[in-house]
Amino acid sequence: MLTIENFSATYRQNGRPLPGATNIAFSLAAGENLGIIGESGCGKTTLALGIMGLLPEATISGRVLLNGRELTTMTERELRRIRWRQIAMVFQNSLEVLNPVITLGEQLTEPLTTHLELTAGEAKERVTEMLAATGLDPKWMTAFPHQISGGMRQRALIAMALACRPELLIIDEPTTSLDPENRRLVLDLLEDLQSSMGFAMILISHNLPAIRLLTGRLLTMYGGRIIEEGNTSEVLRHPLHPYTRGLINAAPEFFPYKDLWGIPGDPPEPGLITGCGFTPRCCQAGAACTQEPPELSEQGKGRWVACHKGGIETVLSAEGLVKNYFLGKEKIKALKGVDLHVRRGEVVALVGKSGSGKSTFAQVLSRAIAADSGMVRFLGKPVYTRQATAMIGGIQLVFQDPGEAVSHRLTVRDAVREPLDIISFKGKNEREQKIKEALTAMHLPTSEAFLRSTCHGLSGGQRQRVAIARALVMEPTLLVADEITAMLDPSTQAVILRELKGLQHQRGFSMLFISHNLHLARKIADRVYVLDEGYIVEEGAAFEVFAGQIDSPSRQMVAIIKN
Amino acid sequence: MEMKATEQNRRRFFDYLFTLFIVVSLNFALPRLMPGDPFLYLSGDHGEEIARFSTDQIDAYRHQYGLDKPWPAQYAASLFALLRGDLGYSIYYNKEVSTILLNRLPWTLLLVLSAVFFSTVIGCLLGSLSASFRGKALDRLLYPLMIAVAEIPAFLLGLMLLFFLAAGLRLFPLSGAMTHFAGTAGFWHTFVDIAHHAFLPVLTLTMVRTGAMYLLARNAMTTVLARDYVRTARAKGLSTARILARHSLRNAMVPIVTRVFLSLGGLVGGAILVENVFAYPGLGRLMRESVLVHDYPMIQGIFLLVTGAVLSANFLADCIYRRLDPRIGLSTEVQP
Repeated sequence: MLTIENFSATYRQNGRPLPGATNIAFSLAAGENLGIIGESGCGKTTLALGIMGLLPEATISGRVLLNGRELTTMTERELRRIRWRQIAMVFQNSLEVLNPVITLGEQLTEPLTTHLELTAGEAKERVTEMLAATGLDPKWMTAFPHQISGGMRQRALIAMALACRPELLIIDEPTTSLDPENRRLVLDLLEDLQSSMGFAMILISHNLPAIRLLTGRLLTMYGGRIIEEGNTSEVLRHPLHPYTRGLINAAPEFFPYKDLWGIPGDPPEPGLITGCGFTPRCCQAGAACTQEPPELSEQGKGRWVACHKGGIETVLSAEGLVKNYFLGKEKIKALKGVDLHVRRGEVVALVGKSGSGKSTFAQVLSRAIAADSGMVRFLGKPVYTRQATAMIGGIQLVFQDPGEAVSHRLTVRDAVREPLDIISFKGKNEREQKIKEALTAMHLPTSEAFLRSTCHGLSGGQRQRVAIARALVMEPTLLVADEITAMLDPSTQAVILRELKGLQHQRGFSMLFISHNLHLARKIADRVYVLDEGYIVEEGAAFEVFAGQIDSPSRQMVAIIKN
Repeated sequence: MEMKATEQNRRRFFDYLFTLFIVVSLNFALPRLMPGDPFLYLSGDHGEEIARFSTDQIDAYRHQYGLDKPWPAQYAASLFALLRGDLGYSIYYNKEVSTILLNRLPWTLLLVLSAVFFSTVIGCLLGSLSASFRGKALDRLLYPLMIAVAEIPAFLLGLMLLFFLAAGLRLFPLSGAMTHFAGTAGFWHTFVDIAHHAFLPVLTLTMVRTGAMYLLARNAMTTVLARDYVRTARAKGLSTARILARHSLRNAMVPIVTRVFLSLGGLVGGAILVENVFAYPGLGRLMRESVLVHDYPMIQGIFLLVTGAVLSANFLADCIYRRLDPRIGLSTEVQP
């Protein structure tokens, strides 16, 4: 029904072109629901207004086809007949979206008298009908917009948009400014109205639960471009673009217990960046990313992403890991074929009871012990040696007991410098500088006195910080944190965890957080694996696993932490 | 929180009454603070300070007008007189002040109302045009032109018109409101005569005011056209005429109408310069004459009238404003 090809809208500001939307292409079938998400200013509303031909101040290129008719070349007079009759819009709810000096009744009936040439009486009847359908008492028709509440105004806006029974309804942020109850009611209302009236819908929203409830397909927009497209539930569960993932991770509805972290940095000034606009904020940007903007490319059926790296890279993949121990002649199966993937910039929690095989898994990853079978890949390359842990940008591990992990005889300086010494990193001064950076990052002093003190004089918390700093000097791409806070008091644990998550967020490394503490995992994880008796019994996006939406034996586990 | 509308109106009315009282008091005090004495000029020509009266005669006049009493007594007497509707007796013109005012007021009203009407209509029209073609050639031409026009002082413009059109080309009479003894020539003839005389003063006042009205209308319309509700109206596919007239102008009229009513009061006094340039027999000219000869009762009468005009215009503007914008005050009752 609606096809958009190569659509671009460019504003002008102080004589400088300011792209509002660039190379937008998608199509929408009759009755289909499409969601559009993205930060403020990413071009969502520009696109919506562009479809309706309501951007007189912008230069438009490309095509907008409605049932085969080209809209961008139509005269204003022709467009006027399309507007509201075929494409209607529920504008973002604000005090000024309705005319303050005209009654609701007149504002609701005027499209009917204009487009359907109804008499005043017929129009009023139709509006009364629509208001009843949207749950607003028709007595409010004599009221002025400022006399009704935000929720009522939202209903009036919906009634107004649907009055002419359009084929396509564009809805801009229907739930912002509504309280949770009204939000729910408005979403249910839209769902009901759509099933009875059968219009297609483009839903623009920051509210991901609304998107998940109402739409089947999802576009993510950034800097005026579509950067990801796919089936809504697949995109939300398994985003391919780091930006989409950042949007999802910032949604409190999805992560009621996790600390919220927005996408670091700000969107680029439109028109100023040559390469991929997300490069300065991305956890996996490379040299190619600054050259030219990436095109959408298909990654699996119906999934499209605009990324030079083909979407979020997989940092670590463990496939079919098996490890057996022998206690005398008895064979203890610690890992019975574990598959696990960690992607760029994400925090994956591996949770399980004591003895479920978590630590064995960590040791296999670091090649401290060898697996009996299975394969570990780091950045796509198989790991056979300990090379991956002995390089800048490799894998680093931090363990539960800092007292054992860091020799108490070493000075702080030596302890942190040791991994650099092992790989013979550059010169003495560079190493010294990296030590100080890492210590500062972990909020430790860098005074000579502290650097010279030996580790056994430090508190448990400080010692764990030294251990983390020791991992950070290697600028790991993947940090494996194995029960790192289990021996700390709750306050120190909270402080260290927040600091570590902050560093992870800022530097964009990936983290595999191994813990038996589900409460902690829930505070920090984007994705979760549950390990039980050597098997992965459950895996998925944290908001799904912890919401208990996936049926599996470990739901009991989730039930336990819920009590 | 919300007061009943009637309660609000009553309160506003008393506010205005109190203001009026203050003004009346000031009106009493101000002429008495001026240097000089009315009897010095009783029969002198303007500006000539010739004492024609003996001390005894002056004392007699003072007694006659009650000016020999102490100030508080004069104040009380003037307040009571005012309550009776008695504005006093003009010392210079030798007539009831109210009679003189009633003779002069229509001429000023003629000038002011015509000027307000023409300047508002022209200003709004040009302003709306400018706003809808903002940044286009028409706007770029009108905008600086109107600013320039708005900046010309009224008396200068009046003098120029008088010099070129009346004195030079002899198209219009030089002074007065109508030809003497022309009242017998029939209604139509009188009408044309009055319009002929009023043309230049009205033109001057209109030109001076049109600039401001244009700027106000352009600004109001520009603001309104950028509003979300105008975008909503456009999205609804309404006709351009309906969007402009019903959705935009209706909102832009709020500040414009308020300004028109507010300025009505000020204009009664604002015509002084123009009336003097064209020797037009309105209140402005009367005021100048009275001030020159220290005619206290006359000056007080004029000031009182002007004050009353300003205050009632304000009151009217207040009421109209509430009518035009349902978001303010009164409308809270409209709910079904």
